Amino acid sequence: MRAALRVYRAIVRIQPREFRRRFGASMEQHFRDGYVDAAAKGRGRSARFAARACIDALLNAPALRLAAMRDRLLWPDPIRSHHEKGKPDMWWQVLANDARYAFRTFRQNPVFAVMAVVALALGIGANTAIFTLVDGVLLRPLPYASPDRLVMIWSTNPREHRDQDVVSPLDFLDFKRASAFSSVGAAYSFVVGGIWTSGTGAEPITLTAATPALFETLGRQPAIGRLFTDGDFNKGVIISYDFWQKRLGGDPAVLGRVLNILYQPLTVVGVMPKDFIFPYRAMLGPSGFSRSLAVDAWVPLSFVDANAFNRATGTAPLLRGVRMLSVIARLKNGVAPEQARAEAQGIARQLADAQPDTNKGIGVAVVPLHEQAVGSARPALLLLLGGVGLVLLMACVNLANMLLARSASRQKELAIRAALGAGRGRLISQTLVESVLLACMGGVLALAFLRISLQSILALAPPELPRVSEVHANGTVLLFTAALSLLTGVVIGLLPALASSRTDVNSGLKQSTRSSTSGRGQRRVRSVLVIVEAALAVVLTIGAGLLVRSFVSLLSVDPGFQADRLLTMQLTLPPKYNAVEPRRAMYADLKSRLEGLPGVTGVGGTTRLPLGSTNLTSKIVVEGRSLAQAQWPEAEFRRSVFDYFATMGIPVRRGRAFTAQDGPNAPPVCVINEAMARQMFPGEDPVGKRIKFGTTDGPWSTIVGVIGDIRHSSLDAPPAPEVYVNYLSNPPSNPFIVVRTTGDPLAIVPAVRQQLAAIDKDISSNDVRLMSAVLSNSVAERRFILLLAASFGVLALVMAAVGVYGVMTLVVAERSTEMAIRLALGAEPSHVLMQMLRYGLVLAGGGVLIGIAVSAAMTSSIRSLLFGVRPIDPMTFAIVPGIVVAVALAACAGPAWRSMRVDPVRALRME
Amino acid sequence: MTRRPDPDVSGLLPLTPVVFEILLALGSGEQHGYAIMQDVAERTGGRIELHAGTLYRALSRLLDGGFIEELDERPAGAHDDQRRRYYRLTALGAAAARAEAERLEAQLSIARARRLFRRNP
Repeated sequence: MRAALRVYRAIVRIQPREFRRRFGASMEQHFRDGYVDAAAKGRGRSARFAARACIDALLNAPALRLAAMRDRLLWPDPIRSHHEKGKPDMWWQVLANDARYAFRTFRQNPVFAVMAVVALALGIGANTAIFTLVDGVLLRPLPYASPDRLVMIWSTNPREHRDQDVVSPLDFLDFKRASAFSSVGAAYSFVVGGIWTSGTGAEPITLTAATPALFETLGRQPAIGRLFTDGDFNKGVIISYDFWQKRLGGDPAVLGRVLNILYQPLTVVGVMPKDFIFPYRAMLGPSGFSRSLAVDAWVPLSFVDANAFNRATGTAPLLRGVRMLSVIARLKNGVAPEQARAEAQGIARQLADAQPDTNKGIGVAVVPLHEQAVGSARPALLLLLGGVGLVLLMACVNLANMLLARSASRQKELAIRAALGAGRGRLISQTLVESVLLACMGGVLALAFLRISLQSILALAPPELPRVSEVHANGTVLLFTAALSLLTGVVIGLLPALASSRTDVNSGLKQSTRSSTSGRGQRRVRSVLVIVEAALAVVLTIGAGLLVRSFVSLLSVDPGFQADRLLTMQLTLPPKYNAVEPRRAMYADLKSRLEGLPGVTGVGGTTRLPLGSTNLTSKIVVEGRSLAQAQWPEAEFRRSVFDYFATMGIPVRRGRAFTAQDGPNAPPVCVINEAMARQMFPGEDPVGKRIKFGTTDGPWSTIVGVIGDIRHSSLDAPPAPEVYVNYLSNPPSNPFIVVRTTGDPLAIVPAVRQQLAAIDKDISSNDVRLMSAVLSNSVAERRFILLLAASFGVLALVMAAVGVYGVMTLVVAERSTEMAIRLALGAEPSHVLMQMLRYGLVLAGGGVLIGIAVSAAMTSSIRSLLFGVRPIDPMTFAIVPGIVVAVALAACAGPAWRSMRVDPVRALRME
Repeated sequence: MTRRPDPDVSGLLPLTPVVFEILLALGSGEQHGYAIMQDVAERTGGRIELHAGTLYRALSRLLDGGFIEELDERPAGAHDDQRRRYYRLTALGAAAARAEAERLEAQLSIARARRLFRRNP
């Protein structure tokens, strides 16, 4: 028994101290008694008793502690506390009482409460909306399995300043072998705008080609059906959920249905899930921009021998020199991106050594997929989040001021409460409960309107903003709103709570009910709040001002062509025009018909529309220069249709544009732009020089003209080298047509469609737009950011005005006695006015100076968002503070004017 | 002697089995802890074993609540054991036990009335 008792004693020692003190000895005695009795009945029984007693005691300790916690936090034990009379309230009962009291005060002063709740709802709501945007775009993981293990592989060309270039098929197959990856897949680095011939005619469809391994790499299975197998090439297609629902009407028999895509019958083998998106715009190469970002269908990508390559959709030639793939890889478990990068760079070096013709100087970049997809949006979104946070902060400052003023006028009531025994803690918590309640009500109101506010923001948001289609409210957003409401409530209430807890009972009880005086401490706090508010207003408005100037700068960039009164559309020719002759005939017909339309002053076309389409580059071989193939310079390759340059308003700087004589039987000619002339023919006259495209075979093409630079990929990107050939040698089957008119271009759209139908009803046209709309669309993302930032700036000014006005009113009210005395003693009213104005000016001025300093320190962080303006722009930094000071002065004016008109007699009598 | 009306213990019902058994055990007079355990074990046929932890946890609650009290005087003679502490019911404790017993009785008569027993138990 001694051993058992020793064990039991040890267990007794882990009981809570108080319990051990009271009952420890009894427990040991109890054990002894029981052990002896059990031993009398048999040896086995005593062991069993000891075991059960030990377990019971072991469990007793945590049971006691849990019970104590429950008593403290939740509700007291009814048996243990039965005798207690006048039990002290549980913490949640205290809170409930405070809340009831707070609601009573709100009912007494409903205007204040409603104003506060509305202001809070606006501030919290704006933050929630922006946070939802940030959450959807930046925080939520991509819709793939374990997306943090996915990376993109790019080729790099440091010499040509390309740090993300698309990958060639043979390079892709080499990277596939890297041991750092568990699977590697590839897709076209561009999306194809195709034609789906449905029962109702030709409709646009956006598709891309992807290796079967790509879906494996991404780790997603189709919602219905299956993924590609080897036999699906040229036969199968996987469609998106949206395409199935919206364009095929959710056909339940969709699997096995044959769709006529790009004039080829393809069988639907699978439908991807609703949330699946691939590729994101940033995953396409620089040549891959497409206005329509949602891919409707995927066809299998298959590699063919270079000789057999016929540019059919879904094929890629087994070449090293042709770059056309986006490559996605999944890291093996335990492999870090750096390891993968190192291995890939090793492979790139090997290739550069083994294939100097195509791969010399070509490196590799490995980028985490999430960063690739959304990284570009991060600076702007974080800026917006910061901006809206500052707006909420300003609202908090205003509300804190208001609550402070209210607590000053409730001195008497607080003094009574303190006299009745409310400790400092209770006074603080009562005030905090009030402010937290206001904030929570504001939060609830904000959530009620979240849908509407989100919809309006998303309506403004450009589709180019990555993942904008995936933005919606979810649990994270709710949590954020709750946390923000709580935090806001505490922040607003803290100062007033501390102020109210310092109630001097004596003076409070003596206070007259009408006037309210605040102590010196409160007045200082109020001044600080005004200074803070002015500073914040300056910071926000300077930020908005810089963005405004950037946007204006951007809009004033000369695109290089005349965008007004220009209509544009894209045509797709059906297969019957695959042969060159019918195509030439069709183009001739088109030219004469369009030029004959009334109001048309020019007709042209191209294979790549500026600011509205993808890019195609070609390597250039210049006569007389012997360079290795890997070092051939690149230029953007386009065809000019009809009078393209004249119609677009692109000036011809040297030489000439194309004429009708530059046909298939004439010697090949081309036209380059100034950027190409600068880059490849510095200091020389390029006219007359000869070049070849992408190969040393074939005839030389003579440069006959140099045109002005145009902006192609975006207004803020510098013009790239461009080379144009005339359309007659090989008219494009997917051209962009531009038509210049004297009147409104949209008015001739029906006539144009009529003419097209007259030529051939199977020719489809899409993307019929004004060129000015194309231009405006290219800056849609910036415009969106600017709109939001500018509204924050305006909000900031309004709130600063409201805050200053509120404070000044209070100051005037407080000092009315003092001013009445002065006026009665003969002071000039204008002096009193100036004194008030000076007071307000000093505060606002101080805040403005602080705001300037803070802005100067912070604006370099938004450098990436600015265009054509320095982070510390003198004009903005001079004008904005002026505006803020003017606003503050205006806000002071009213109260200051009133201060002048104080009637001394009445003021003194009331005291 | 007229009995004073019972204090209101209705808010405590139903009592947990352990608490009720302890009150019952003390209903026959003062007991010390181990005796309570023996009493309960006997009455329930070993079903409820009040080891020291469970027992004294419950006794602590009942003591604090005023349902039982510890004896200052010791019972006379042979029953006494210096090392042991004796407990007895207070008026409150008795009232609580009574109330629980009445509640159980009421349930029992309803069960009988609804013919849940084939024969009178």
